[in-house]
Amino acid sequence: MSEQTKVPEGILCSSTHEWVLEDGDLCTIGLTDYAIEQLGDIVFVELPEIGASFSKNEVFATIESVKAASEIYMPIGGKIVEVNEAIINSPEIINEDCYEKGWLVKIEASNPSEDTVGLLEYEDYKEEVA
Amino acid sequence: MDKKTFLYEEQTKLNAKLTPFAGWLMPVSYTSIFEEHNAVRQNVGLFDVSHMGEVFISGKDSLNFLQKLVPQDVSKLTKNKALYCQLTNKNGGIIDDLIIYRLDEIDKDYLLIVNASRIDDDLNWMVRNSLGFDVNIVNDSHNYSLLAVQGPKASLLIEKMGIKKENQPKFFSIKRGEIKNINVLIARTGYTGEDGFEILVKNHYSAYLWDKILEDGMEFGILPIGLGARDTLRLEAALHLYGNDLDETVTPVEAGLGWSVAKDKEEDYNGKDVIMGQLNGTVPKSKKLVGFIMEDKIPARHGYEVFYEGKKIGVVTSGGPSPVLKKNIGLAYLDVNNETSLNTLEKTLGITVNIMIRNKQYNAKIVKKPFIEKKNKKDNL
Repeated sequence: MSEQTKVPEGILCSSTHEWVLEDGDLCTIGLTDYAIEQLGDIVFVELPEIGASFSKNEVFATIESVKAASEIYMPIGGKIVEVNEAIINSPEIINEDCYEKGWLVKIEASNPSEDTVGLLEYEDYKEEVA
Repeated sequence: MDKKTFLYEEQTKLNAKLTPFAGWLMPVSYTSIFEEHNAVRQNVGLFDVSHMGEVFISGKDSLNFLQKLVPQDVSKLTKNKALYCQLTNKNGGIIDDLIIYRLDEIDKDYLLIVNASRIDDDLNWMVRNSLGFDVNIVNDSHNYSLLAVQGPKASLLIEKMGIKKENQPKFFSIKRGEIKNINVLIARTGYTGEDGFEILVKNHYSAYLWDKILEDGMEFGILPIGLGARDTLRLEAALHLYGNDLDETVTPVEAGLGWSVAKDKEEDYNGKDVIMGQLNGTVPKSKKLVGFIMEDKIPARHGYEVFYEGKKIGVVTSGGPSPVLKKNIGLAYLDVNNETSLNTLEKTLGITVNIMIRNKQYNAKIVKKPFIEKKNKKDNL
């Protein structure tokens, strides 16, 4: 994690190391700094089509580090409304800033109140993975 | 329980990310694989490769014994020189790839440095083949640590540490020496495509030597390097990784290692009929190892299938990003007996094949190996 990385207020984290930030109906999803540190240099990102729907815990993207490909799971279910085009051309952005510039997708959550059950606040998540 | 090398404490202090590898807990990376990779290409890097095996061969019949084991002509190996070769089975399949160093010392006629994952199989094979030979096979792996110092500034660093350039071993040579008052065997070999050294030291002194190399290497921009960058470095140089690119089902000829097969060796060795037959064209090859560059940004990995004209023609054995080329590169075996217009595989250079990645096909171009120019050629030293 680079020195500048700031963890946004209010993110919720999954045990598979995705984070989600709710902003009304729109939710932003990314990977935690812990996940990025474990993966190392990211070299390739495969993101879903806009309009595709995924349920909670379903694979929606693939991230490749130097060593291996990793599947990324939906922390909550919903429909993809935006994907981060910048990281497709420059995957290293995720290494540099996994919370601001390095987000993966934005979704319209289908059932956020139910789906966020079991997700952890950042501080608790950090303790869990430490 | 994975074994720890004698450098485990030093690596932990350096915040190494550790991973189990061939029964050992080894560092994958310390900072970033790309950063470490570039340090070795531009400056110098320090690797702990203590997991590798050291086997000493001695006895009246050491030479004849080794001649039976490998396709290289070990009789051509003079004192203090090194030879890259393979242990082959009766079918010419590769049991392991290794470097043989000729030492001519008491109880140590030859030193064999073998892959960590293969030590047991190698020893079993050697013992089985030793019948009738007056030879001692001593696995001394547990007594030695192996440090690799690799990169264009490796020679400068070793000079600073007490061995003048003119006294350093030449390319593919080994000698005894002292670094910081520690006795070492220092060889001009490596697994990166760069100039560099591999330093064999008794376990007891390895942590001290490790610290001193990093300390003296600071002015040359040295970084400790993990297995992650070791893999990307060797792949760019198209050096084979046992278990990925080599195994008992392929011969040295099929693996593109025909250059390491002696053409005029009189002695018989395991698999000679097949290997020489494949070299002479009298025994058919079943596959051929090729290098490829992905035309798409996506990396291909070990085990992915290769297609041509809609038919499966092979499989990727190693693949990943090349930090120097900034493209994804890899090695793949193509089947000679495939049902496409490439069925003789005589001319594959420049051809575009398709690699299946998560149920989608991506283009890859067959290119010459290695992917980068190697810097450790004889004439450069």
